[in-house]
Amino acid sequence: MPNEPRKRYVSTIVEVEGRDERKVVETPAFDVPPWSEQEQLGIVGTRATRVDAPTKVAGRATYTSDVTLPGMLHAVLVRAPLGPGRVEQLDVAAARAVPGVVDVITAADLTRPTKLSGILLFDPAILYAGQPVAAVCAESREAAAAGAAALAPVVPSSRPVLDPLVKAANDDADVVERGDVERGLREANVVVRREYRTPSQLHTALEPHGAVAQYDGDRLTIWESTQGVFRVRDEVARALSMPRSAVRVLMDYMGGGFGAKNHAGPHTIAAALFAQRTGRPVRCVLDREGEQIDTGHRPATVQQVTLGARQDGRLTAIIADTWVALGAGGWEGGPAQIFHQMYSCPNVRTTERFAYTHSQPMQAFRGPGHTEGAFALERALDTAAQELGIDPLEIRLRNFAARDELKDREFSSNNLRRCYAEAAERFGWTTRESRRTAASSPTARRGFGMAAQVWPAGGGPPAHATLTMHSDGTAEVLSGTQDLGTGARTILAQIAAESLGARLADVRVVIGDTERTPYAGNSWGSMTTPSVGPAVRMASVDARGKMLEAAAELLECHPDDLDARDSRISTRDGARSITFAEVMKRIGNVMIAGHGTRGPNEQKLGLMSFGAQFAEVEVDSETGHVRVLRIVAAHDVGRVINPTLAESQLEGGILQGLGFALFEERMLDAASGLPLNPTMHDYKIPTLADTPEIEAWCVGTVDARANHLGARGLAEPPVIPTAPAIANAVADALGVDLTEIPLTPWRVLAAQQRRRQQSPS
Amino acid sequence: MKLTVNGRERELEVEPGVSLLSVLRDRLHLSGAKAGCERGECGACTVLLDGQNIYSCLTLARACDGRSVTTIEGVSNGSELHAVQRAFIAHDAVQCGFCTPGQILAAIALLERDPGPSRESIVHAMSGNLCRCGTYPKIIRAIESVAGDA
Repeated sequence: MPNEPRKRYVSTIVEVEGRDERKVVETPAFDVPPWSEQEQLGIVGTRATRVDAPTKVAGRATYTSDVTLPGMLHAVLVRAPLGPGRVEQLDVAAARAVPGVVDVITAADLTRPTKLSGILLFDPAILYAGQPVAAVCAESREAAAAGAAALAPVVPSSRPVLDPLVKAANDDADVVERGDVERGLREANVVVRREYRTPSQLHTALEPHGAVAQYDGDRLTIWESTQGVFRVRDEVARALSMPRSAVRVLMDYMGGGFGAKNHAGPHTIAAALFAQRTGRPVRCVLDREGEQIDTGHRPATVQQVTLGARQDGRLTAIIADTWVALGAGGWEGGPAQIFHQMYSCPNVRTTERFAYTHSQPMQAFRGPGHTEGAFALERALDTAAQELGIDPLEIRLRNFAARDELKDREFSSNNLRRCYAEAAERFGWTTRESRRTAASSPTARRGFGMAAQVWPAGGGPPAHATLTMHSDGTAEVLSGTQDLGTGARTILAQIAAESLGARLADVRVVIGDTERTPYAGNSWGSMTTPSVGPAVRMASVDARGKMLEAAAELLECHPDDLDARDSRISTRDGARSITFAEVMKRIGNVMIAGHGTRGPNEQKLGLMSFGAQFAEVEVDSETGHVRVLRIVAAHDVGRVINPTLAESQLEGGILQGLGFALFEERMLDAASGLPLNPTMHDYKIPTLADTPEIEAWCVGTVDARANHLGARGLAEPPVIPTAPAIANAVADALGVDLTEIPLTPWRVLAAQQRRRQQSPS
Repeated sequence: MKLTVNGRERELEVEPGVSLLSVLRDRLHLSGAKAGCERGECGACTVLLDGQNIYSCLTLARACDGRSVTTIEGVSNGSELHAVQRAFIAHDAVQCGFCTPGQILAAIALLERDPGPSRESIVHAMSGNLCRCGTYPKIIRAIESVAGDA
């Protein structure tokens, strides 16, 4: 299938969660024809069951905390009780004297100063309560905990600064502006001005962060619950001053990530150092409190939003001045971008101020920035619609963005209007008033709301895969990606089976091994399907070509006369055929392998996933309690590889958005900075009892310009519009304005109180 | 102490204060029960004690002397999965899978008590098992499908 010679490496722009990076990437060795809308596919697009579900339901999936090695030691991190301040005492001798304690590491024991999420590891200068100051390893976890207690760090602390408005008052702002917002406001018939607030949300994966490390003299092996094995490898190699090639990072199964597991953490470096120092394997898994107080969060925001709109609802100006409470480190991910790309508006100005506050560093949390921004934008737009007497769906349709106005480019494909139409139809949007009186008690009020979403989800290079045929005729796909629970293993197997012409059961996908699997990037930015998927397809097409050539020799015909399906190669007239197993048996123990590469995206093209969600709620006007009855969600993600898995992703995102809307809020004591709800009892995530009826699907389209699969990403999009859709429904139910989430009963009652004061009845 | 685990009687020396979860995972190498919080909040450690679903992280091993424990490793019949396990696969009630053993054991205990549970009973019985991936809608469908077949 090779074509004319082409340049093997090219410089290209790769977009990750809206940020552009220039990279030199490998171009594919040959062109893989795109799967068009008409393509007859037998495995891709079907509701195949998750390939690893049998392993998981049997309890046989091995997570990092299940890795147990002979002679293994147990390590715990020791945390500053308070902050900010400076560690004045750390009783290493007392810790070492505890029976069972084997080793202690403080800043002085590090190979080199190591920054993780912007924080110097074990630095005596403490920025927040809970910051790690040391680590202890021992024969048992109990002994390690006793050693940690004996270290008893003393940190005289001063009052923390937690308010982003105070901390960032004089900081430089990131300003993005186009058009003339002042003129836009002058042209407006109605102007909405509000200050919105969103809370710090905690990822709260069921499996805490953890690592197991083993050192064999010059090589280090790390098992880590991570979204990026190669990134962890690079960070560990750097911290220990080892060559990258001497560090192997493995991740088979992981218990959720949601953005919190993109890097090596203090636990990783501690386990690695202890393994190197003691010569024994070491496990370091965080306890739940450590997980909640020091593995990242969706940063809280304050967003002052001004919208100007004409009588017909068309937006004339959008201004968003935002403050983001990052914590002590992390990266500067803010809410601005969605204000530029969600709706068409000629005059937009956003400012983002990033406040480094005295709490744990932020980490990306599913749909970072957009999820926070969507709450403010979608509430403000509903408020404008109300003042103009325009239906919420209608005002969104009138402001539909047909192109990416921020980056002045086309979208590869945009079926948001179809999402609106399908979801509105299923929800019964136009007939909703007939359901308003169906409230279940005299104090209950029914309400209806909606919101929309845009998210950069095109994926991109680099990503590589190989497909190897075993001598029994089964195929093994290798790619150094991760499956967080998203179903990546399954959809890659479907893509490979389809492209190779194999039965799904004959394909095994091996991921997450920096030594044995070819490079793929972090599983973030809804990138895995559109980045790794095309590489897997190309590897499979490459291997298929070789299988057909081998079969042609055996069947004494031309490869072009052959086709492969269900692990069998047949002549097109069906007269002769041979199974994959027979081909591999007859040609003996030779290797048939294909290699696949993710090529660059078409430049100057916006690769975005879109969606719309509708919420029906019931609010008790006396208690302020909100119950979400129903969420209807339609999303446009291009080709769907597996509708069942796609729906599971949508439902999961919606439930995390529901938690964000109703009760998830990390609380810090204002005086001490101490986390007040570092447990799953006090920090509430949705339970089965909070689960509404969810109807979620992807509108059936193929994005032929995105990549040769026609697929974009969908993991993050569903979390983005849920909270504003719910808040809009609650506001509708009570006739109140809501500017802050989560919508605790207290906040709902306060909103009612404000309304009564404004318009005494 | 004596403990029957997945039908097999075990003689164990266990210190006071050691949790059943720790005995199962660290002593008996049954790693299907997970430590998600170790404070009785998430349900990932759920096992059956004489048929009742309990949080093994909050249960002292010594308090189980003479009793019978079933873990996820013990619910299938040889290589044939339990009906609830099959339903979880068929309905995609599994995402990352970390909470799944606990969810399945809680569902098995529910269906033992009440083979035809109402939606309310399912909600009540399953709300002590958290899932951050959001498999709840699929868990409801999986349990209802088994109940429907009963």
